Amino acid sequence: MSTHVTVSPEEFSLVSYDAERIAEIAREVADLLQVPNPLAIEIDETTPLSKMSAVVDSGSSDATVTLRLQSGALEDTRNLTTFSEARARLSLGRVMLRARDRMRDDFADAPDDLETSNSENAAWDAYCGGRLERLGLEPIQQQYRYDFRNRFGFRDDVDTVFDQLWASDDLGWHDLPTAP
Amino acid sequence: MRQFFPVEDLARDERFVQTNMAKRLADKRSAIDVKKTAKSRGSSNRLTPERHDASDAARSLMHGIMVGEIQALEGAGRTAHDFEAGDGTNDTIPFELKLDMARQAWDEARHVEISAKLSDWMGTELGQFSENTVLFEAACSNDPVLRLAGVNRALEGLAIDVFTQMKEFGQLAGDPFLEFCEDWMLADEVTHVKMGSDWLRRVTEQDPDRRAKALEFQQVVDKLFSFGGARGDSEESPIGLARRFRELAGFTDDEVDTIAEMDHDALEERKAAVRLAQEAAGV
Repeated sequence: MSTHVTVSPEEFSLVSYDAERIAEIAREVADLLQVPNPLAIEIDETTPLSKMSAVVDSGSSDATVTLRLQSGALEDTRNLTTFSEARARLSLGRVMLRARDRMRDDFADAPDDLETSNSENAAWDAYCGGRLERLGLEPIQQQYRYDFRNRFGFRDDVDTVFDQLWASDDLGWHDLPTAP
Repeated sequence: MRQFFPVEDLARDERFVQTNMAKRLADKRSAIDVKKTAKSRGSSNRLTPERHDASDAARSLMHGIMVGEIQALEGAGRTAHDFEAGDGTNDTIPFELKLDMARQAWDEARHVEISAKLSDWMGTELGQFSENTVLFEAACSNDPVLRLAGVNRALEGLAIDVFTQMKEFGQLAGDPFLEFCEDWMLADEVTHVKMGSDWLRRVTEQDPDRRAKALEFQQVVDKLFSFGGARGDSEESPIGLARRFRELAGFTDDEVDTIAEMDHDALEERKAAVRLAQEAAGV
């Protein structure tokens, strides 16, 4: 499987990123996640923030998936404005998993990525993080746990829910916890 | 032991990557909406749990605090060591000032350990973010009074602002460790600023020119430590100016107002520079 990928912009002015390399990594991650859809990756290089969103035209395997990432999502935080392949794999993996989830019937009720609440995001991210880890990528679990605690509370029962999400592989939108 | 240590020779292991203000300002991206002017401010950029990127931003700031504490430890330690004990003239410092700097170094060492543990708690690896060495650069002056102005008043003043912000973050998020640790470190920072204010006044009591030069240097450092308006009264700034704690530390209202004006200027200058650079790049 070799997914068709486009990256815009094709040349970057404010960051030292290579569109070709981003496309290669996106293809590798799409293969790993078994996402056959054409990918249109749009990167906003004007901000160092790292928000990401995915838009899926339809549930079919030939529908284009648009991934929008702010430049910080692909950045090496030790060397600002430079590209990190490891970070790119994790970010693209997370946003592609969300896109793949959206193609399932039981995610039909999920709001658009930019409309999800902070707690919905944290829960979905925790569900993505565990799956990425099992696929061989290396998310730092404690980061996801801290984000989840920030949204749901610093309590043992919250940690238990997080652990369940992290270990899950087949959840629907309504299986994800909502904010207290 | 060697005296007067340049910033290039700071000892760090391979985990740490250092940067400086020139590189930071060369980054022509901005998290702040640069198209907004001071009169048309929109939503708040304050670092609170409400921000969608709250955890990432808090992690980055906590790492900045940790490396800042390392540099503050190095700065206070250097001042305790670099100058002979004397009456405060001819490159000497009173022995009691050396003792205060030694006490501060001990405090900062504890803060480094606390900040490293907090970083771990938040899911950050040591060295995950670049280390800006601008803090130690303020501690490299040959005049100990300028070091007091740069380190104890400007750097530790910034620490008061940052710790107040992080303490509030912990309080709002319900993070018991973050709130508790930041509160205790904040108390130390207020003491450090107070020590700097007191010693600066005492050492320059008979030398108004030297005092004026030190306060002028402090303003230069304060503007640098605004980080292009990342700290300031404006809601556009992620870190607020902690007026009450600064007052407790010996800053006058006029001094804090001056810092607020410089922060505002730094924010507008940064926005204008980013705007120009982005226009030039056609994005």
